[in-house]
Amino acid sequence: MSLNVDRASTAFTFKGGMLPMTVMELTSADPERIREQLAGKLSQSPAFFQHTPVVLSVEKLDEPHLALERICAVCRAHKLLPVAVRGGSDPVKQSAWALGLGWFPPQEIKPRNLESVATPAPEAAADNEPVPASGGRIHRGTVRSGQQLTAPDGDLVVIGAVNAGAEVLAAGNVHVYGALRGRALAGIHGDAQAGIFCRELHAELLSVAGNYKRLEDIDPRLLGSAVQVRLSDDQLAIASLA
Amino acid sequence: MAKIIVVTSGKGGVGKTTSAAAIATGLALRGNKTVVIDFDVGLRNLDLIMGCERRVVYDLVNVIQGEAGLNQALIRDKRVDNLHILPASQTRDKDALTNEGVEKVLDSLSEDFDYILCDSPAGIERGAQLAMYFADEAVVVTNPEVSSVRDSDRILGLLASKTRRAERSQDPIKEHLLITRYNPARVDHGDMLNLEDIREILAINLIGLIPESEAVLRASNQGIPVTHDANSDAGQAYTDTVSRLLGEEVPLRFHEYQKKSLLSRVFGGGRR
Ligand SMILES: Nc1ncnc2c1ncn2[C@@H]1O[C@H](COP(=O)(O)OP(=O)(O)OP(=O)(O)O)[C@@H](O)[C@H]1O
Ligand SMILES: [Mg+2]
Repeated sequence: MSLNVDRASTAFTFKGGMLPMTVMELTSADPERIREQLAGKLSQSPAFFQHTPVVLSVEKLDEPHLALERICAVCRAHKLLPVAVRGGSDPVKQSAWALGLGWFPPQEIKPRNLESVATPAPEAAADNEPVPASGGRIHRGTVRSGQQLTAPDGDLVVIGAVNAGAEVLAAGNVHVYGALRGRALAGIHGDAQAGIFCRELHAELLSVAGNYKRLEDIDPRLLGSAVQVRLSDDQLAIASLA
Repeated sequence: MAKIIVVTSGKGGVGKTTSAAAIATGLALRGNKTVVIDFDVGLRNLDLIMGCERRVVYDLVNVIQGEAGLNQALIRDKRVDNLHILPASQTRDKDALTNEGVEKVLDSLSEDFDYILCDSPAGIERGAQLAMYFADEAVVVTNPEVSSVRDSDRILGLLASKTRRAERSQDPIKEHLLITRYNPARVDHGDMLNLEDIREILAINLIGLIPESEAVLRASNQGIPVTHDANSDAGQAYTDTVSRLLGEEVPLRFHEYQKKSLLSRVFGGGRR
């Protein structure tokens, strides 16, 4: 027997990795209330729920015992796959393990670094170069009604228009160098820092990290202009880029 | 090798059959051997507009199912030498059309003809997808209204993904926008989308603009494609369209709203 383990004979290798992951921050431990809210979100943006892995964060809950099994079942019924729990008491950790879920220690608390949307930095435009983060995707041409374009790991750049009835989604930012007439969803795995940028706003729906606005909710004065869309205090803020 | 052109729209009643008949007639009048196929199984219409409904014996479905030869089913046009019609079945089920069957028919027609026009049924289902599947070019017929533009957009998405050229990663289908039933006065009033808005949304090459015209109604009632009505606005607009399909540059007409002058009213000129 040789001690040299060559590549062909290894069954696996361990690699460090940073995967984008949606964190579901629970503010209620009541499975019924979670179910109601999920059902509402699911009907609004079904594309968000495609067996998406989620980490259940219970840091904000102050309950030593959780109906974790029922909460997981509710999630799965809405096509979210809980893969781990973050935070919580020792019994919560034990029941996560018992359910075959991972457990992460609570996150250090950092102040949220949200850039002010109302007064974008003057050099903001320079950041809008069509160079996506790695894992991003560039699409040239019109995205047409009935088409769906996804960048599951990064930014999505569309050089062209997104027409009514089309849907563009990205884990990161969505840039549309043209008219945005369809639906745009940024931060689909929960990245609250993600944004949507477009040359001409007529969007049917805008969503960042699951917070959305419909065309009807958009200030009509912004329609037709170049805008950026950001999340600010869990609210979508739409600001002119001009 | 024939060029296969599908005339399609998504939305119904926008003028596909009218356009397929008029363009086929125009191509044949310019000396191209042309056949126009009705893919609208169950709702056949093309033979009426071409004025050959009394001469239909066999149809596309008969040919596909081996009940008739292609030459038995092809109808020779009464007015233009180079023009043939392959009618659809009025009685058969839509499912009678198969991909392989259609391919065979198109392959054998390809040997004899310069142009094959496929008049698509409305919708985005199987029938419409079959009509477009083998196409080299597409004429996307659009009316100046939001729903028609939306459906055309949807069809353009399918042309880029659900066709043989797309599946084989060949050169994409050449897409042409044909705006029909354009009424400059109503566009001017804001009742209808204007030309520029439609072009901007669909972002494809404009091959023609056909005004809303009584000549079309007259033509379809008489079973004479409107291209033959050389004095009419619609007839001229289709002739222009055919010239552009053949690669010529022709300025756009009939898109501007002109209040009729007294002279043109007296002499009956202008639009008819
Ligand atoms: N330019 C025009 N001006 C006036 N009427 C028109 C014009 N073009 C088409 N029409 C009328 O519109 C109606 C529908 O036309 P047509 O049958 O060609 O449409 P289609 O798209 O083939 O319909 P379907 O989807 O049912 O197959 C007919 O009554 C036709 O006469
Ligand atoms: Mg028709």
